[in-house]
Order: sequence, then structure tokens, then C-alpha cells
Amino acid sequence: MDWIRKNDKLISVVAVLVVTVLVWEVLCWYFEARDFILPAPSRIIMEWAEAPGYFLKHAGYTLMTTLVGFALAVVLGVAMAVGIVHSVFLDRTLYTLLVALNSVPKVALAPLFVIWMGTGSEPKIAIALMIAIFSIVIDTVLGLRSADSDMINMARAARASKLQILMKIRFPMALASMFAGMKVGISFALIGAIVGEFVAGETGLGHVILLSQGMFDTPRAFVAIVILGIMGTLLFYMVEVAERILLPWHVSQRSAHTH
Amino acid sequence: MSRENSYVSIRDVGKVYPSPHGEVTALEDINLDIHNHEFVSLLGPSGCGKSTLLKCLAGLEKATKGEILIQDQPVVGPPDDMGVVFQRDILLDWRNILDNVLLITEFRRLDRSKYEDKARALLGRFGLQGFENRHPWELSGGMRQRASICRALLDDPELLLMDEPFGALDAMTRDDLNLELARLWQDTQKTVLFITHSIPEAVFLSDRVVVMSRNPGRIDEVLQVDLPRPRHLSVRESPEFGAYVSHLRQRFAQLGIVHGD
Ligand SMILES: Nc1ncnc2c1ncn2[C@@H]1O[C@H](COP(=O)(O)OP(=O)(O)OP(=O)(O)O)[C@@H](O)[C@H]1O
Ligand SMILES: [Mg+2]
Repeated sequence: MDWIRKNDKLISVVAVLVVTVLVWEVLCWYFEARDFILPAPSRIIMEWAEAPGYFLKHAGYTLMTTLVGFALAVVLGVAMAVGIVHSVFLDRTLYTLLVALNSVPKVALAPLFVIWMGTGSEPKIAIALMIAIFSIVIDTVLGLRSADSDMINMARAARASKLQILMKIRFPMALASMFAGMKVGISFALIGAIVGEFVAGETGLGHVILLSQGMFDTPRAFVAIVILGIMGTLLFYMVEVAERILLPWHVSQRSAHTH
Repeated sequence: MSRENSYVSIRDVGKVYPSPHGEVTALEDINLDIHNHEFVSLLGPSGCGKSTLLKCLAGLEKATKGEILIQDQPVVGPPDDMGVVFQRDILLDWRNILDNVLLITEFRRLDRSKYEDKARALLGRFGLQGFENRHPWELSGGMRQRASICRALLDDPELLLMDEPFGALDAMTRDDLNLELARLWQDTQKTVLFITHSIPEAVFLSDRVVVMSRNPGRIDEVLQVDLPRPRHLSVRESPEFGAYVSHLRQRFAQLGIVHGD
């Protein structure tokens, strides 16, 4: 009973998924839906089981692109945010520009990256990075700025240097906001990787979907989509687990409020 | 210029804050000397510039007029030999209590191992032994404020600045902490500037009470408190204590400030 209570969220998620898949299967069977319109879950699983190596290879490529793009977005994004918070010039120029560009549909820029960087993995990583970095920069800036002025005064009164205040006060205080940005960022990085694969190249799940479309091979496209769904979910939880490890105080306070 | 024994000298200090709605004069013509080993309270209504004066003295804000000397040296930034306790405990949630108290060893690059025993002893003195490894969110408000006092005292500063440290606490915890602070002062003879809204608290703790008035923030009166030391809570029942309190209450009434407590 205890186990059920502790994992009630997980159990409800699994239950909803199982019911959805069952309803889907029954509806396909009842309406005799043709595979190229909407394949039944059983058909999708069969398709996957026929060529697991093929899907693994493409999924691995997409995962690599996403992770590299995301990691670069975090490193660059946090560096930019620190610069923006500490320099009025960067705030007026770079930050203003970033906030303005954030509302532009960045996916539209994807073909340009192929022109600039060719058809290898570089443009895909670059697109993932570009799409992911906005929320990371904006939320990190927000977090670094939100550090409570009493706390900064306390540190200054204890003769802390600017760097010490950044490392020991501003950063830890900004972590919650940074993680909010990174959770959005990791999903965007995956979108960026897929968009990159749509635009050019011969590898990755985006490429598999595009290829299946050309051959009306809907089951294969669905396998790719299912893998993408699983991948996106796992990547999101990866960031959340990192948050739990790094911010036990924050998470514990949050759960204290919800109970 | 400097008077004998005067640890802090505040001379003709004024502070004007720029603000979107025009300038705010927070302080005007402040003159005050705080002697070595003296406990001085700043008492005044909200917005009369008490925190501003403390921040100027702590080197966190620059006075726009006049000068502040600590041991005859003009204050340009936060001085070395000073500890500050703020109204909120502002402990760092991601550190345990011991690491919070030891924070300044990191800021000042002091040898942590040399200070660890001292930190434990301080925590013990303030009734926090056994809580060294707890995190701030696991402690009550009174315990948190005790920990932040320990943090301010770690390097044994000569000057202790306290900005309404007990303002957020309930009456019983407040009495406890008043007593602990009175004992601490008795033992260490630190020079203390203590800000409060509470008249009895100011009288109980202080050698002198500085009464401030508002708009602009000025010193209205300085009251010498000649109650015998060491003081116990029972001193509050004495007629002398009552006389000081009612004098200050009347002063605030004359200033047009209704002061409830
Ligand atoms: N950073 C600031 N910028 C502009 N005005 C300020 C600033 N800090 C304080 N003031 C103004 O200066 C005046 C004095 O403020 P201060 O915080 O020193 O008052 P206080 O006596 O500590 O009040 P309280 O008892 O409520 O803490 C107030 O009118 C306040 O609005
Ligand atoms: Mg104040």
C-alpha cells in the first residue's frame, strides 16, 4: 500500500498510457484502419521489432545531436547570462537582441545553417543550440537578478568579493530558475535536432520520418515518433533528476508545500 | 576632532536617495558618537532612516553628506572588524547551519579548521548544539536568527550592528534572545548599534537610546539609561525601567507617532 501511495503519480501516468494504447488498438481494429493512415499499436511494435538496430542507430544519432546542442546551449547560455548581469553594455545590446529574437520562429532559420555548415552533424547541433539557448539565457538572467538584496548585503558586509558573491550566493539562488530554463531548453534542443534532420542529411529519426513519408511507410514513421516521445520524456526527467540532486532544499520546500 | 573613547563617529551625515518620484531625504544632520564597549539603540518609527544609517556605517551605502569614522578611519567600504545581523535571518538554504556560520571564513579566506571549534562553541552558547548539520528550513524562526547571530560573531568583531534582529519573532522567543544578547554583551563588551521598534527592548539592552524622528530622518533625543548591569528580565518590573519607557512613549506621542507596544 505504501508503495502505491509513494508512486501514485507514476501509476496514474502508466494507467493513462495503457488505456490510451488499448483504445487506439481497439479503434483501429473496429474501423479496420489501413496501416498507412493509422497503424495500430501492435503493428508499430512489430515494425520496431523487425529492425531494432536500424532504429537504434538513428535514435543514437538524434540523441547525440540533442545532447551536444543542449550542453553547448547550457555552457554558452550561462556564460552569456553572467556577462549580461554584470555588464550594462551586454544587457543593452545582447540581452535586448535575445529577448527580441526569442519571439521569431527560429525554425525558419534552419535552412540557413545548412548553407553555412553543410549537411553533417554540425548544422543540426547548431540548430538545437540556437533553439535551446534562449530560455536558458533568459531564465538564468532572471535567476541571477532575483538574488535577494539583503543576502547580497550580508555577503558584502562580510567582505565577499564580486566573484564570491556570484559563486556562493547568486548562482545557488539562480539554480531553480536555471533549471526551469533547462527543462524548456532540453525539449527545444530535441526539436532543433529533428528540424535539422528534416532539412538535410541521411541520419537521425527526423530523417527516418521524412524517408517514411516518401514511401508512405506510416508504421515506420510512427516507430520514430514513439521513440522520440520516449526520448523527450527521458531527457526531461534527466534534467529533473539533476535538479533534485543539486537543489534538495528547493525540491524539499516545494514538496512541503504540495503536501 | 575625535573624542576620547569614541569608537564610531558620525559627523553631519545626510543621505539622499534618488528615486523616480524625486529625491528622498532619508537622513539629515546626523551626529552621533558611539563609545568603545557601548550598547546603543536606535529607536524610531518606520521609514525614519534607521536601516539607512546602519548601512552607511557598515559601508554598504555611501552617505551623501558628512563623514563616518570608525576608530578615526573614514568608512569607505565594509570594515574588517564588524559583524551585521539583519531583520531576516538570511541564512543560505543550501548549506547546513555549521556551514552557514562558517561562511565568512570562505569570504575572507580564513583557515576553516581553526574556526570550526569556535563555530560549534558559539552555536552551543546560543542553544543550537545538535543542529549543526541541519538545514535552515528545518529550524524555527528563533533558531534561525540565533544561527545568524553566531555567523556575525564568528570572527569576534569589535563592532556589532543589528537591524531589528528580533522584529519577526514572537514575544517569548524575543525575551529569550534579549536575555542572551544582554549576557553576550556582558561577557564580551562589544560595541553594539542595535535597531528596534520596541521601546522596552531598547531600554532593557542599551546604555543609550537614540530617538529618531521622520521626514527627514533626524536624531530627536539621546537618552542615557542608567539601569544597573548585569540586567535580568526582572529589571523590567522596576520603577526606573518604567520611567524610561514612559518617557520615551511620551516623546513619541509628542512627535505625533502613535507607538503601540
Ligand atoms: N534604496 C533606496 N532607494 C530609495 N529610497 C530608499 C532606499 N532605501 C530606503 N529608502 C527610503 O529612505 C527612507 C528611510 O528608509 P529606511 O529603510 O532607512 O527606514 P527604517 O527606519 O529602517 O524603516 P523600518 O523601520 O521600516 O525598517 C524611507 O523613506 C525609504 O523609502
Ligand atoms: Mg529598517
